[in-house]
Amino acid sequence: MIAGKRVHYLSMAVVALLAALGVYLLASTAPEPVMRGRMLVIPGAWWRFLGMFVLVTGGLALCAYLYGLATRPLRAWRYAVTASTHIFIWLVILAVFYPVVYLLSVSFNRNDTLAGALPREGNLLVRSGVFPNPADLSVVQYLKVLRETHLLPLHWLLVAVLVTAILVVLGTALLPRFGFRSARLERVRGLAGWTVFGSAALLVLSVGPGQFYGVSADGRRLPASIGGMVPLYIRNTLLVSGTTGVLAVLLSTTAGYAFSRMRFQGRYTTLLTFVFVQMFPTFMALVAIFYLMSRLDLLNTFTGLILAYSGGAIAFSSWIFKGYLDSLTPSLEEQAMVDGATRWGAFWRVILPISVPMLLFIFLNQFIGTYSEFILANTLLVGQERWTVGIGLRNFTTNQFATQWGAMAASAVLGSVPILAIFYSFQDALTGQFTAGSVKG
Amino acid sequence: MKDHLPRSRTTAGGVFRSLGLIALALLLATAVGVAGYLLVRLLAPEAPAFVGIPIGTVALVLVLRYIARRFAWIMPWYYLLPAIVFLLTFTFFPVVLTIGLAFTDYAGVRNGELNVSSETPIVAIDGERLQIANPGTLDCRSLRDGCNGVRAVVYASGEVTLPAESLDGTTLVLGEEPPAGRTVVGVELDMPDLGFAATLRVVEQDGPVLTLERQPPFPPDLTSVGVVLDRQAIRRTIVAEEGDRLTLDAPLPEDVEAVSIARYNDFGFVGWRNFRRILASAPRALVPVFGWNISFAFLTVLLNLAAGVFIAVLLNNKALRFRNLYRTLLIIPWALPSVITIQVWKGFLNQNFGAINRVLALLDISPEPINWLLGDATAARAAVILVNLWLGLPFMMTATLGALSAIPDDVYEAARIDGASAWQAFWSVTGPLLRTALVPITLSSFAFNFNNFNVIFLLTDGGPPVPWGTATARGTDILISWAYNEAFRSQGGYAYGFGSAISLIIFVITLGVSLMNFRVTGALKEEARA
Repeated sequence: MIAGKRVHYLSMAVVALLAALGVYLLASTAPEPVMRGRMLVIPGAWWRFLGMFVLVTGGLALCAYLYGLATRPLRAWRYAVTASTHIFIWLVILAVFYPVVYLLSVSFNRNDTLAGALPREGNLLVRSGVFPNPADLSVVQYLKVLRETHLLPLHWLLVAVLVTAILVVLGTALLPRFGFRSARLERVRGLAGWTVFGSAALLVLSVGPGQFYGVSADGRRLPASIGGMVPLYIRNTLLVSGTTGVLAVLLSTTAGYAFSRMRFQGRYTTLLTFVFVQMFPTFMALVAIFYLMSRLDLLNTFTGLILAYSGGAIAFSSWIFKGYLDSLTPSLEEQAMVDGATRWGAFWRVILPISVPMLLFIFLNQFIGTYSEFILANTLLVGQERWTVGIGLRNFTTNQFATQWGAMAASAVLGSVPILAIFYSFQDALTGQFTAGSVKG
Repeated sequence: MKDHLPRSRTTAGGVFRSLGLIALALLLATAVGVAGYLLVRLLAPEAPAFVGIPIGTVALVLVLRYIARRFAWIMPWYYLLPAIVFLLTFTFFPVVLTIGLAFTDYAGVRNGELNVSSETPIVAIDGERLQIANPGTLDCRSLRDGCNGVRAVVYASGEVTLPAESLDGTTLVLGEEPPAGRTVVGVELDMPDLGFAATLRVVEQDGPVLTLERQPPFPPDLTSVGVVLDRQAIRRTIVAEEGDRLTLDAPLPEDVEAVSIARYNDFGFVGWRNFRRILASAPRALVPVFGWNISFAFLTVLLNLAAGVFIAVLLNNKALRFRNLYRTLLIIPWALPSVITIQVWKGFLNQNFGAINRVLALLDISPEPINWLLGDATAARAAVILVNLWLGLPFMMTATLGALSAIPDDVYEAARIDGASAWQAFWSVTGPLLRTALVPITLSSFAFNFNNFNVIFLLTDGGPPVPWGTATARGTDILISWAYNEAFRSQGGYAYGFGSAISLIIFVITLGVSLMNFRVTGALKEEARA
């Protein structure tokens, strides 16, 4: 048996050596890259790349199999499968992340143009333009986007509070990993979390179009440039999404409560209608919404847009909240009502406080959904100072796309950060609803 | 199943009684709201239309309090009321309105507003008959049936000449009352000593007594004073039109001097005309757009599902190290706002400078740079589907992982005891269980992608133009983007009514898919018994 093990290890070494040799041969015999039109091409690179991939994957899988034979012979093939799974997943991660990383590096690059000749220096990836040249690293694109935002002292104070609160949240989230654990830490973290929400909300509410202007050489105010308005667009989007989220919570909690806790005639029919209605996105009745808003003098107002969104938000949120209440025992309310609380009192003082996590989820879910909405915003909001971030970015892609690529990338990164942060902070809650049996897709 | 709580056992009211009471309350509130709006507008003519909403809300609260005292069983409906009101106003009503508008010729040039640029002078008046200076300015050709049945505004003269009795400082007393109901905005006083007339603003008016802004510098001629009146707008409807002669539905008042007329951009009911137009252009618009719409949604769902299930099955291997890290990393396209990432993809897919073509060139995969977005339709379609795969993969992966983790371990245990191999267990245990869980997700994903406006509009903008399409129905246009192009873009002529007709078709299709989803999931079976 020991001799068998040795054979396995020996074959592992041979396989690894052969695979490495093959990869080396494929790489070293590759022809020099040539320019074809505007592109740098390595002739025949694809089959070399494929060959290398097969060699690496196959070699690793075989090695894992042999290692498995040597250690746990019955499960040897599992080792092979696991090894090739890792490689495959990393390849998928590479493909999924390539645009993200590329976007980040464009936003931190001095080159502001999508056109232009390929660089002659640097490694192969830089010379072929597959990645922007790291030598041009710079924050100039972000400055360009943020330069025309003139915050007042109050705003700076709020920004300071926000940043501090975020740091506290991060710190208190990381500390338990190093063994610090206490109830007080949890409380501090909760408090800091709400501070993040509160200061962000105040900041969004207090910043207005007046803070966005350029300054000419002789000190006069100029209208903001396309890039300079982007922070305003982000603020607008946050305002609209936040209000829609709050409205969704306000309007759906009582409905969800009635559906879950009360039995009355017509309950099933109404529930059916709610579930049915949420399958029709609001924007399908785009023309009618436009007509309605033009009659209500609500075109080009945030109010009109928020009202239009709220209609679509309610049904789904009520359904989710109903499901949540169904999973709670009614004994708490019964207790409260035996103690003399009214039904509304039981709802207000018992149900709402214990549903805070669920309400937060409804808010965030609506917030993220609204943030990415485009068609209604584009139809209802005409004035540039009211644009949302999606419309603002479209202004880049339809006008000076080729020349403002860097500024657009920086704007895209800035616009994505709030949602990215929210999504990863509440990842499990936000993705968990899409498990089996849920209604919405 | 009985109520959880003791108090709402008294649910005596039927559905119709409850809804009827609530409808009554809403109707009353609406009436109060409209009345309030009209009242506010009397006091402040500039007030926007939505001031009626808070007024109506207050009325609603009062009415509801009264009803709750009389009929206690209505309580559950009160909890539903905020949601129902919003659903009715901003979801249900727009749907009904869409149906209505689909049968009208509502459009940019027929938007129901007053057309200010159509104002043309009136040459002669004879009772309800008018002769206008320029029929071309009134421009009735863009309307459905000429100017017949179109609302119009006749502007009455701004000036009458009256004698004055006296002038004392800034107070001018006219010999006659100015026309009733009109406001005097100024007087034109002829000053013989000066040799020309001066116009003075009137700051206050009380019958024939006018207060001027200042004293006239020279004694004016009081026998004939030009009294400048505010412009008066008289609403009429044009009932017949013949060249430069118009007939109104009623004669104009005797005492005014009509000077000009402007028309409204009226729209009206046109029956099935929009649908006939859709059918008439079907070979070039409806059929190719619908075909691509279906295949786009189908291919997207198929690809996303295949890739998502594959990766999820790989990640579901509990022995796999870093599986949570992998899941967290792979979820990133979902965590970024799609409205931003899609537009960034537009840059990546740029023909000459985009990252994708550079990678393809470096690996020598495509001999020529592919013109993804502006070249031929096939490339643009492939681009849309691939970007949608990038966007949708995390969702399908997460959904499948959720479904997989819901399968209890003892099922596998039982399969193993029965002697099934791992492969057999996967095919005959995981497969069927996964399918049941994924069917509703697949269906709703299909419904979502069927109307995935964002990815089409922001990536390809519906383009490129194709020889078999029209200006509004191009290579990658789906039904909803076609409707948008017709309704909100110049190449579609802002044909809102036509766009609504297309929306109606989308409604019907979505309804079908949703019904199917209902049937498959049985989402509400449990509730029906409750």
